Amino acid sequence: MEDFLKEMADILDEESVNESDRLDGFDAWDSLAILSVIAMADSRYRAAFSAQQVRAAGTVGDLYRLLSASAKAG
Amino acid sequence: MNLVFHGKKIEGLLAILPANERLFVDEMDQFDFPRARSLKLKEVMGYDRHRIVDGAVCVSDLAVAGFEHLFAQGLLGRDDFDALILVTQSPDYLMPATSSVIQGRLGLKHDMFCMDINQGCAGFLIGLYQAFMLLEQPAIRRVALVNADVMSRKVSVRDRNSYPLIGDAASITLICRGEKDTPIHANLKMDGSRREALMIPAGGLREPSSPETRIPHADDEGNLRARDNLVMDGSAVFNFVQTEVPPMIDALLAAAQTNAAAVDAYLFHQPNRFMLQKLADKMQVPYAKMPSNVVEHFGNSSGVTIPLALTLNLRERVLGETLTTVLGGFGVGLTWSSMLLPLGPLAFCDMINYPQVS
Repeated sequence: MEDFLKEMADILDEESVNESDRLDGFDAWDSLAILSVIAMADSRYRAAFSAQQVRAAGTVGDLYRLLSASAKAG
Repeated sequence: MNLVFHGKKIEGLLAILPANERLFVDEMDQFDFPRARSLKLKEVMGYDRHRIVDGAVCVSDLAVAGFEHLFAQGLLGRDDFDALILVTQSPDYLMPATSSVIQGRLGLKHDMFCMDINQGCAGFLIGLYQAFMLLEQPAIRRVALVNADVMSRKVSVRDRNSYPLIGDAASITLICRGEKDTPIHANLKMDGSRREALMIPAGGLREPSSPETRIPHADDEGNLRARDNLVMDGSAVFNFVQTEVPPMIDALLAAAQTNAAAVDAYLFHQPNRFMLQKLADKMQVPYAKMPSNVVEHFGNSSGVTIPLALTLNLRERVLGETLTTVLGGFGVGLTWSSMLLPLGPLAFCDMINYPQVS
């Protein structure tokens, strides 16, 4: 989870992010950030997510649970 | 499907680039995005500059200039080829075929097999397969394969999703029978059910161009484009490439009974640096073996990016020796294909500007 938060902070151009932060509250939550998340999911979890799936996650924590669930399933 | 060809080779290759060069930083303000985010995009994707035709330049203009250069330099005789294949998605007309336009403008002989193929990012490979098949005919001694696109004319200048990466270019590749009967292994897959990932919705007969299809609309992200413009589902394309390409290359090497250690260079289609480096990471290929710098120099010119990756990065080597290359194309269709190709020594491997300054 800590690694994930660090990587999300980097993607979102922030010093740090918290699990409870809403994704659409970040200025940098755009198509580039979403593609960066998709690329992270591919390299970290070997899982393919659509932009719609990623966009539907409400908070940073929701996104973590979405991505890591696929890793366990795979 | 697996394909195999025998006794064919590439003799030489010429790339033709519009002289007009645009910088990403000069174009950022035409997008409805904060500058800081566009600069981040530039850094992550590897955007810098791209070549865009100046005005109403067509595919046949680039191709004719390229052939005239080859004739003038003595690199190709006017009567020394018997087939002209053009791979493009941006033809001069709906009809006739633009290969016929090129033949007519150059005044070439009538014993000529002209053919247009509608393909994009895998177009260099598809064109080579067609050339190899034509060379089975004794009457066909040499094939000129033209890859050319002026897609900047179909991309909205206010679409940050596509415009920064697009590039216009053409290449002419000469293919003939080789002395050696070494096999060329290849494979190819297509999936038309995912055809909407990359498309120009209007302007064909399904949805004719009209005043309505010319009106730009903002998408969810703030990219402005019309139905007449190219639209790309970037994340779907990313997933497609990362999912399909690595197993395709594994299957190619297995079919050829060789392995990655024997490969000198991976010459892949160039969508952007980001996608190629992610692909190299996944395939565990060192970046030095897989050029990813075409988009930052010239933009993504569909089927011309593999010739550009070769001329930009491996010109000296491929003029002097034979390299074991893996070519990879993936994109519109969707289409994905790869080829294990012994390449070189080539007679020429050059780049010229259009129009040429004399």
